[in-house]
Amino acid sequence: MKLIEQTGRNTVRCLDEVGYGGSLFGESLFWFIFGYRWRQPVRPNSIAVQMMQVGIEALPIATLLSITIGVMLAVQSIYSLGLFGAESYAHVGIALTLTREFSPLIIAILIAGRSGSALAARLSSMTINQEVDALRAIGINPVRFLVAPTLIALVVMVPALTMWSNLVAMTAAGLYVSQAIDISLGAYWVNTIEVLSTVDLLHGLSKSVIFGVLIAVVAAINGSMVTGGSEGVGRMTTRAVVHILSAIIVTDMIFALLFTQ
Amino acid sequence: MRETAADLQRKLSGEAASLVRDPVIEVEKLDAHYGTLQVLFGLDLAVREGEIMVIMGGSGSGKSTLLRHMIGLEAPSSGTLRLFGRDAAEMGAIEMLELRRKMGVAFQSGAMFSSLNVMDNIKLPLREHTDLDERTMDIMARMKLEVVNLSGFGKLMPAELSGGMLKRASIARAIVMDPKLLFFDEPSAGLDPVVSSALDELILRLRSAMEMTIVVVTHEVQSAFKIADRIAILDEGRIIELATPEKIRETSNPQVQNLLNRRAVEPRVDPAEYLRRLTESA
Repeated sequence: MKLIEQTGRNTVRCLDEVGYGGSLFGESLFWFIFGYRWRQPVRPNSIAVQMMQVGIEALPIATLLSITIGVMLAVQSIYSLGLFGAESYAHVGIALTLTREFSPLIIAILIAGRSGSALAARLSSMTINQEVDALRAIGINPVRFLVAPTLIALVVMVPALTMWSNLVAMTAAGLYVSQAIDISLGAYWVNTIEVLSTVDLLHGLSKSVIFGVLIAVVAAINGSMVTGGSEGVGRMTTRAVVHILSAIIVTDMIFALLFTQ
Repeated sequence: MRETAADLQRKLSGEAASLVRDPVIEVEKLDAHYGTLQVLFGLDLAVREGEIMVIMGGSGSGKSTLLRHMIGLEAPSSGTLRLFGRDAAEMGAIEMLELRRKMGVAFQSGAMFSSLNVMDNIKLPLREHTDLDERTMDIMARMKLEVVNLSGFGKLMPAELSGGMLKRASIARAIVMDPKLLFFDEPSAGLDPVVSSALDELILRLRSAMEMTIVVVTHEVQSAFKIADRIAILDEGRIIELATPEKIRETSNPQVQNLLNRRAVEPRVDPAEYLRRLTESA
């Protein structure tokens, strides 16, 4: 009986959080589009600051991870295709897997760990310290001031970093493949471009836009639901990262099922 | 020296003076709940223009909850809250944001934005609500720092300030838009008597210089009697006394006297209820 009651409570709480996430997303868009009309604009410099933090400052680690993923994928492709004597087709698997799956996913996971956790920690510590109340008391909508700039920055920067990751990972993979099967890097790129279509690129990029939204919204839900003191901040930050990663992976699977048939 | 209208008003009986002014805040039959727990029970209270209303009560009496409702941070379960003559329930979110520009709040913890220095904290309302240039905003922020005796501390981060300085910086931010209505949540809590007394003087000075209506939530008896025109005393979510400091002192209400004389009251224990509390599972 207790199990059923607990399941019921958790389901209601989960639906409540999903609804709250929807309203956060809607409210952020509202302020972004109509904020100027109500003298509550989402300021471009706030978005620029967030873009720097979310995107530009993540470039070194994003580059390193992309090189690693590219080389790893190249090694595995050469090995597995080598079993059938088809190493020369390695570029097909590498290009499609990177653009449609690996780059969006690895960048989303990286940004979830970096910026999702930072947003959740910032919002929860501001809630605990009454800073969010202070914003409302000053007449500043907290969603407009705190969530909307990060959401917009993530929606722009996650796809941008994904494109960068595609480029870097494919170049790194190309360097390995060209050595392994003795072709030039230029020839590798020509083959890769022949294989890739706009649809493949858009598949990955549209996913990364959704991942950007998920990172911002799930972090904001958890950050604003904090209770307790500094322990609560730590708990909600961890919860935010776990929820963001789960949401990204489930969304990725749904996307694959719907658009890769 | 010429006396201001506010000085004259203070010389009059607070109650008499307050009656001739329009109410800035009107609370009628206000009920508030946290989940299923009712914390405010049908409160009626009017704060009139230019008066200093002190809301007193022990811990858990509902005074901070009442303040949060007055600021509009919480919606009442039932009852009416009118701010500047307008029903808060009938106002949309955007109208409420507009209205809050006429209000300032100094929170108990200061609630300064930890990522901004003191100067940027104070300039934030100006930056968000006005089209002033940076230089004018700097001058206005420095003026408010002067008012709270914090000139020269603008570059410091909130974490570098002492408790008293933090509260004064928070007041500077609260008054930067020259609000008509100012709220203080426990301004003296955690401060030594000297700093606490200086804050009381500052509150009186703000009222007389800027003719603000001020609502102060506190449990500091000395501070309340020093600054209040009227005092509302809350106990278990109900206003048990509302009068001028002089009348509050003379009241025969035992709960009020216990609060004023800092007498602890042992709760009556029903043995059966006590046993039930101990034995029932959590």
